[in-house]
Amino acid sequence: MNRYQLIESLVPILEDTLVICNIGIPSQELFSICDRDNHFYMLGSMGLCSSIGLGLSLTTKKSVIALEGDGSVLMNLGSLATIANRSPENFVLIIMDNGSYGSTGDQATYTSESTSLAMIARGAGCDNVIECSGIDTKELLGDVLQQRVPSVIVSKIDPGSQPLPVIPLHPIILRERFRSSIKS
Amino acid sequence: MKNRISEQLISALKAAGVDFFVSVPCKLLSGQIQLLEGDSSISYLPVTREEEGFGICAGAHLGGLFPCILMQDSGLGNSVNAIKSLIQFFQIPIVMLMSYRGSPGEPVPAQAPMGWLTPELLRLMQIPVLHCHHRQDIADIGPLVSHAWVTQSPVAILIDFNLMEQN
Ligand SMILES: [Mg+2]
Repeated sequence: MNRYQLIESLVPILEDTLVICNIGIPSQELFSICDRDNHFYMLGSMGLCSSIGLGLSLTTKKSVIALEGDGSVLMNLGSLATIANRSPENFVLIIMDNGSYGSTGDQATYTSESTSLAMIARGAGCDNVIECSGIDTKELLGDVLQQRVPSVIVSKIDPGSQPLPVIPLHPIILRERFRSSIKS
Repeated sequence: MKNRISEQLISALKAAGVDFFVSVPCKLLSGQIQLLEGDSSISYLPVTREEEGFGICAGAHLGGLFPCILMQDSGLGNSVNAIKSLIQFFQIPIVMLMSYRGSPGEPVPAQAPMGWLTPELLRLMQIPVLHCHHRQDIADIGPLVSHAWVTQSPVAILIDFNLMEQN
């Protein structure tokens, strides 16, 4: 299973949540599979997906999902410590770990060698850290959303991306429609 | 006296509508951070680095809050891309309360090179600035913070080392 297939499998349960999606191809894939108002596609600010998700989760009772990548999390590891200590019950961090910088030409990340993001997250103090296959991710995500426990899911998938165009939405339109989905 | 400056700053920010705070530590901001830790009328959390703080503040603003980041001016250099491609690109109001570590009075020489750049970098980044040299300058915080909200932009409050240290 690659990232496109993983996102495709998760889309049905993302409907009732607020989704912050990682910059680049992950956002383009989510946008092309299913575009909804409750998706915030990061158009810039490499590495900050988990942080935007945490900040939002502190302001709402709705479930917030940060749809992250392994390369992106490696750029902002301090975020895992903040999440471990301050995450509310409605925040779930999903790391789509394909061991690859997928948006920049599939260069290998260190998670394809010795580095375990699940162990880093546990070391940071995150309580509920689940490492699983791409195929099992949907069911496990459904469980943690129902239990409302702050969670980090490291979903191990294969590298490879869909060639897709840049998202054609104006940032302010994207921001405003996302905001109205928070209120609805 | 030090506490009075801290209290003045935090109450000016709160009075202007700021209700979400993050901080990257600074010796000169320890009074403000202490006040925020004990204030249940606002949200506050420490962050590990400025860039992360801008991300968290952006998320909090999507959720309707008005964020402020407490940081040293050196942290501006760590955050240029986050401010440009997230905060200004999505038009997110945020107040940057910055201790001006590179200004006269600073005993750490390594703070100076970034400090020389700070005012010009803020200008280049098109971030409106209130530079506080004297205690009475703090009175202008209210209009600057309102300007951030009205224009949906980041604004910076730069506070001289000597104002923070000697008052
Ligand atoms: Mg990756």
